[in-house]
Amino acid sequence: MELTYLLLAISMLFALVATYLAIVEKSLVKAVVYSALQSVSFTLALYLLKAPDIVLVYLPITVGVYPAAILFLIRKTEEVEEV
Amino acid sequence: MKKDMIVAVCLAIVIVIMSYIATLGGGLGPLFNGVRPLTIIYLNTTLNIHNPNFTAMSPEAVTAIVWDYRGLDTLFETAVFYLAIIGSVAIYRGIDEKLRISEGFGLSKIVKVVTKLLIPMNIAIATSIALHGHLTPGGGFQAGAAMAVIPMLLIIAFSRYFLLDIRLSRGLALALRSVGLLGIALTVFIPVVIGLVNGLNAYIMQNQAKVNAPVSLPAFVGSSLISGSLIMYNVSEFLAVTFGFTLLFILLSIEEGLVKEQMRGEGVEH
Repeated sequence: MELTYLLLAISMLFALVATYLAIVEKSLVKAVVYSALQSVSFTLALYLLKAPDIVLVYLPITVGVYPAAILFLIRKTEEVEEV
Repeated sequence: MKKDMIVAVCLAIVIVIMSYIATLGGGLGPLFNGVRPLTIIYLNTTLNIHNPNFTAMSPEAVTAIVWDYRGLDTLFETAVFYLAIIGSVAIYRGIDEKLRISEGFGLSKIVKVVTKLLIPMNIAIATSIALHGHLTPGGGFQAGAAMAVIPMLLIIAFSRYFLLDIRLSRGLALALRSVGLLGIALTVFIPVVIGLVNGLNAYIMQNQAKVNAPVSLPAFVGSSLISGSLIMYNVSEFLAVTFGFTLLFILLSIEEGLVKEQMRGEGVEH
C-alpha cells in the first residue's frame, strides 16, 4: 500500500517537472515531447490507481495521436515561440 | 531561472504535503479499503448465470457498464466524436490530391525498417484489445486508438503518398468508418427485430433478457464467452475509431500550399 503511494507521488512529481519544462520551453517541438513525457507519468499513475481501461486509451492518445496532431499544427505555424 | 526553480520546488513541496494529508495523514477520514456498496451491485450482476434477468454476461465490468448498463450514453458520445470528424471532412471538401510516387520521401531506411517491424505487433495488440474487450480491460475505443497509431507512423516514416500507394485513400477510410458506424446502428436494433419476429417485448440496445422483455443475444458461441452484443459493439467501434482517426491524419497531412491554391482558384470562379 505504502509502495503504491510512493510510486504515485514519484510519478506525479515527474509529471510536475515535465509540465513545468513544457511551459517554459521556447521550442514548441521540444515542448510537445515534454508534454508526452508528462502523459507517460500520468499513465503510470492511472495504472497504480487501478484504472487499466483508462491506461489503454490514455497511452495511444496522449503519446501517439495528440503529439502528432500538435506537430502537424506546429509545421503549419512557427516552430519557436516569440515573447 | 533561479526564481523559476524556487517556484517549482515550492509547488512540489505543496503537492507532496497536500497528498500526504489527503491519504496517509487521514485528512479525508480513515482510508477505505473495503468494497463499496455500488461495487457490490456491479460485481453481483456483471457476470451472474444464476440471475439471468439482471446480468450483462461479461466479466469485464467497465465494458459492461459502457455498452450495456449505460449504452445510450456511449452511443451519443460516439456520435459527438464522429460529428467532429465530419466537420473536418467538410472543411477539406473538394480538395484534389496530387498523386506522387512515395519513393524518395519520408525518413531514413533505419526508421522505415523499425516501423515495418512495429506494425505487425501493433496490429496484433490492437486486435486482441478489441476482441477481448468483453473479457479483459480495453474495448473498441481503446483498440481503435492503438490501431490509429499505425497510419500516423506510416505518414511520418514513409510520407503520406505511401498511404495512397497502398490504396488507403480518404474515400476508403470514410467508407470503412461508415461500416463501423453501421455495425453499431444495426446492433442497436437487433433485439427489437428479434422481438418483432417472435412477438416478444424488447428494447433497443438490449443485451440479455429482462423480466418484461425475454429477448437475449447469445452470450456463448460454443464454449467461449462473447457476451451477446458487447463483442459486436466493440468490433464495430474498433473499425469506426481506427478509420475515423486515419481519415483525420490523412486530412491533416495534406500539403497546405495545395489547399490554399485550390481555395484561391475557387474564389476566382465566383
